[in-house]
Amino acid sequence: MDFDNSKPIYLQIVDFFYENILSKQWQEGSRIPSVREVAMMVEVNPNTAIRAFNHLQDLEVIYNKRGIGYFVSNNGYTTVLDIKRKEFLEQNLPNLFKQMSLLDIGIEELNNAYNQHKNEEE
Amino acid sequence: MGQGFSFQRVIQFIKRDLVLLRGTFLTGFLVAIILVFLFCLLNMVWDQKLSLEEFYGIFGIIYIPMGILFTFALFREFGNPKTNALYLALPISTIERLVGKWLTVSLIYTLVLSVLALLVGTVAMAAGIILFGANFNLLTLFSESYLTIVGTYIFVQPVAMVGALSFSRNKIGKTLLAVGIVVLGFFLFNFLLYAMFNHKLGVFDEDGLGSMAFNKAGMDYSIVGRWFYGFIFGPLMLVVAYFKMREKEV
Amino acid sequence: MLTTNKLYFNYPTSPSVLKSINLELKPGNIYGLFGKNGEGKSTLIKIMSGLLFPKSGNCTFNGRSIQQREPETLQDIFLIPEEFELPSISIKAFEHINSVFYPNFSKEQFYNLLEEFHLKPQQIISNLSFGQKKKVLIAFGIAVNTQLLLMDEPTNGLDIPSKSQFRKVMAASVDSGKCIVISTHQVRDLHSLINHVIILDNAQLIFDESLDQVTKMLWFGRASSTEQTGLIYSEGAFGGRSVHARMDKEETEVDLELLFNGVLNEPARINQIMQNNDHGTRV
Repeated sequence: MDFDNSKPIYLQIVDFFYENILSKQWQEGSRIPSVREVAMMVEVNPNTAIRAFNHLQDLEVIYNKRGIGYFVSNNGYTTVLDIKRKEFLEQNLPNLFKQMSLLDIGIEELNNAYNQHKNEEE
Repeated sequence: MGQGFSFQRVIQFIKRDLVLLRGTFLTGFLVAIILVFLFCLLNMVWDQKLSLEEFYGIFGIIYIPMGILFTFALFREFGNPKTNALYLALPISTIERLVGKWLTVSLIYTLVLSVLALLVGTVAMAAGIILFGANFNLLTLFSESYLTIVGTYIFVQPVAMVGALSFSRNKIGKTLLAVGIVVLGFFLFNFLLYAMFNHKLGVFDEDGLGSMAFNKAGMDYSIVGRWFYGFIFGPLMLVVAYFKMREKEV
Repeated sequence: MLTTNKLYFNYPTSPSVLKSINLELKPGNIYGLFGKNGEGKSTLIKIMSGLLFPKSGNCTFNGRSIQQREPETLQDIFLIPEEFELPSISIKAFEHINSVFYPNFSKEQFYNLLEEFHLKPQQIISNLSFGQKKKVLIAFGIAVNTQLLLMDEPTNGLDIPSKSQFRKVMAASVDSGKCIVISTHQVRDLHSLINHVIILDNAQLIFDESLDQVTKMLWFGRASSTEQTGLIYSEGAFGGRSVHARMDKEETEVDLELLFNGVLNEPARINQIMQNNDHGTRV
């Protein structure tokens, strides 16, 4: 795993979990790798991995079955979706708007670009 | 203090040395076997017999120098700056290290070489009987000359140990040099003492008496020297070796 | 676990290498020991493993002086030196003759690690490359399960894939009872593993902080030119990476290289900010 230099590593691990959950690679209610396995996978100090697990547990994305391991919560998918949507609306969009006004790109132009992208996908 | 003593650890430490120096020991013993065989055979060419004294003479020529070489080999790991970090960090106390090394190079070495020499000597004698019609003579370990040689070795060997611990390069040469100087100094010291206490003999006046004095001093030396070596010097050297090991830094 | 108190060391005929070092190492951590070349990192590690004796002050492990080299102490300390020679015997024989001295040695772990490093027990050590020899020793050092594991420049001689293997192996082998010290000048190799930073400079200990504390007090990144408040140290002419007092900014990942350079250039200021935790983030 390559790390982005500015974001704390534990949050980057959290993002890695989100991706797996959103892409349904980790199903709701299914077991996820242990702290040690994750630490090994991303080559970090296990303390950092623990921090990521605790963060996700606080957000109720995952839960711990004592002695068995960690599992994706039953509504883990929707929880993550909410979090990421909120993040997009509150952080990514304002950044985008800032860039748009700097570069003088209007909403119509954006709309056209969006439609074009959609068409290409189909 | 590098305290603690576990016989278990000593044995494991000896095993470790034997594995590490397997090659050296095997080569050494092989050379010893060949030499003992050849010397015994040559010895029988002339007088068609191999007496116990002759046999142990041959034994001594090989036994003592090779023991000293093995001693230096045993401390190679200790002296090499690239290996001694791992060696010194092993959880073994200094006294265990000393006992282990000492047992290897005195007890184990003596036992193995004695048995080998005896077997090879017997084989050589058999060959001598067949080739030159030599007289049969039973070779045993129960002989005064054997005990003298082993005794000498046991008390000389710690000197080699201290030499191996003290010098980092040209260990053997430096040890021999140091021993030579000590022996020479000791000899002169004895000679002077003898000359002073017996000045009425006029050691310094007449050549004849002077040489006699040398002879006497030499005899004196051998008695004092034996006592000194036998009961003080050997054990003293082991104590010196202990502190050398304890205070060794990388 | 390991404590040094007013540790002083010099080699004969040379000026002091370590001056008044006070350290307290605790289990559960991976310490990064940084310093320019020749600033005493290796010397400190050798003192910690009992290979060198302090000229004054002391160095104790669980209350016992390490210098005494008691088996009970050495059983719980393992050192992987920067340079070493291993005997020309098989890896298996090496394990066999040395592991018996370590009560917590795990055979299973050792052979698993060898597999991880693509080494075979039958291989003769003298036929291996330096990097492979290092891996043998790293595997052994982890498998002896000593409370304290000291590594002097462990990634020297490892190629890029091996460095990644090394990080994986290290990440898997830490547990709450172990304390690991990694000395290195290649800060980048290990930045995700370390959770405590120790920096030596001019024979002195100039920085000793956990990364948690560092992230709490300092901010790393590219600050715009208008944002000069709390600037401590910056690299590059404009828009370069810089260290700031964090104040109420977002948490950022520690840039170890930047922190290291910052500490070397502004030791007093950084340490002052680090100590300010009671008063919030005032500079």
